[in-house]
Amino acid sequence: MTLPTEAAEATALTAGTEPATRAPARKKPRLIGTTSWYVVAIFICAVMIVPLLWMITIGLKSRTAVFDIPPKLLPHEWTWSNFVNGPKAIHFPRLFLNSMIITALSVFGGVLTAMMAGYALARLRFPGRKLWFYLFVGSMLLPGVVGLIPLFQLYKSIGWYDTWLPLIVPAFLGGNPLFIFLARQYFLAIPYSIDEAAKIDGAGHLRIFVSVMLPLTRPAWLTMAILAFQASWNDYLNPLVYLYSSGKWPLSVGMAAFVSPFAGKTPDWSYYMATNLLYMLPPLIIFFAAQRYFIQGLGALGSTNQK
Amino acid sequence: MSRVSAAKTSVGRRSARGGMSRNAGSDVKAAYLFIAPAMIGFFVFVGYPLVRSFYLALTKYNGLTDPVFVGLGNFRRLFTTDPAFWPALRATGYLVVLYVPLSLILGLALAMFCNQRFAGVRVVRTLAYLPVVLPAIATITLWKFILDPQVGLLNTVLDRLGLPTSLWLQSANTSMPSVVLVMLWGVGATMIIFLAALQSVPTELYEAARVDGAGPWSVFFRITLPMISPIMLLQVILQTTAALQTFNQPKILTNGGPGFSTNVLMLSIYNNGFPTLGRIPQLGYASAQVWVLFVIIIAVIALTAKFSSLWTYSDTSD
Repeated sequence: MTLPTEAAEATALTAGTEPATRAPARKKPRLIGTTSWYVVAIFICAVMIVPLLWMITIGLKSRTAVFDIPPKLLPHEWTWSNFVNGPKAIHFPRLFLNSMIITALSVFGGVLTAMMAGYALARLRFPGRKLWFYLFVGSMLLPGVVGLIPLFQLYKSIGWYDTWLPLIVPAFLGGNPLFIFLARQYFLAIPYSIDEAAKIDGAGHLRIFVSVMLPLTRPAWLTMAILAFQASWNDYLNPLVYLYSSGKWPLSVGMAAFVSPFAGKTPDWSYYMATNLLYMLPPLIIFFAAQRYFIQGLGALGSTNQK
Repeated sequence: MSRVSAAKTSVGRRSARGGMSRNAGSDVKAAYLFIAPAMIGFFVFVGYPLVRSFYLALTKYNGLTDPVFVGLGNFRRLFTTDPAFWPALRATGYLVVLYVPLSLILGLALAMFCNQRFAGVRVVRTLAYLPVVLPAIATITLWKFILDPQVGLLNTVLDRLGLPTSLWLQSANTSMPSVVLVMLWGVGATMIIFLAALQSVPTELYEAARVDGAGPWSVFFRITLPMISPIMLLQVILQTTAALQTFNQPKILTNGGPGFSTNVLMLSIYNNGFPTLGRIPQLGYASAQVWVLFVIIIAVIALTAKFSSLWTYSDTSD
């Protein structure tokens, strides 16, 4: 049995090398084809990368040069100090720390409890196993907004409003049903002889889970961790609703607040764009360090539903 | 998994069954301990809100005093007297109709483009996926400035090329297409799923078609499209339900304006349930809107799944 995630990984990784054009020896049409492919490729790359380069040039312009008419593409005076003063004006270090704490805890909780639930659903026998599997899968269909208002009132009544708890605790309680589903699929494919061998050696379920299963399922939980990181780092609606004081905001809310029109004041775009680059860096670093897990995550979604 | 041989697997599975029945009692206890966090989470974050939200939709509730039961009053107000509800529904529909087909077509085109053997195809694929990796708020705010009519990048470039410029987000006619444009910058997410689907089409089919002398169009419509139709179905459902719940883009780019042109349902729910200071939250009324959105989403999923057998291909020999 092949694992869904492995299949997706294999396909995603060979995407560049799999032959789709096995052109016969017609030289001229092939040359035209190659040229037009590269023209389109350059256009696609430009659409994706030019906005980001432009963002950096804005970050280097002085506050007033941003509004020069006609606009100049490159700054005539490079204001490197924006990269120091911008983060200071936006309180970037504090927002960054807040985001880091919230994200780290919710990634840890979400992945751990989903792996635990997946282990039980796939490898242990208990009454209601099927029912719970369908309940978790079914709850994937529930739009997040349905819970927003009742949970807001619930958190308010137990004093969690304006704390990080509403952003962290749900992750420790099974958080994302998609993760439970992915974990179960992965656990199903692991041979049962491994559990048996561990049991004969006298290992309990906790021991099997921690020292046998977790090392074996590394690709699965790394993929989940990356998906959870992205979800938490990007989340805007939940912190916007649950956090009132600006000192507790994560980056998403703090950054958006800096550029929202406030009392008719024009935001300082050069400060903002310089800081925006710093905001983008952590996900970018993770992306380039663990590209295969990013692609695997989405690919797995595709191939598990293909059956 | 490759560390364990296939023969060992079948033996192991049989003996594991035996093992399971022998200490089933400890298994059950362990299972409930392992699954307990997710079970509690299900009751608190799925079960309770579902019931409570439905009840609140039938009440008048400001979040401070107890909810007052009003029956279907909220829904009557939504559909008959609220001047903002139908525009919100129309804006949401407009967004879905613009975004979903474009996202599917561009995503599939991009996936087919990246599914060819050229040096540098990995670079194109990585860059096309890049906007998906970046924080949503970072890219949305960046695009807010790119779309600035006076000093934004897009009008600057269009102007230099001698093309007509636009007011983008600041005109009621172009605001929603501009929001969709920003969303389409993240089409890489759609592309990656299609790419995995294209890779799973058996190459023999393409070889056979080539032997039979099929042209590129008939290969696309008779082989590629039918073979990836299950993924297409998944994509239609995922993209539509996501588009129906769009919040970040209209909230940050336009805050619903100009007029009601981008005031989608999610934004309307947010503004009714969590208004700016000084206004009274209408949590019961917002819950009624949530349920309208929820019913639409369930209907979309049910209808897409029901009619999928008409256009998706399934291997009957399976």
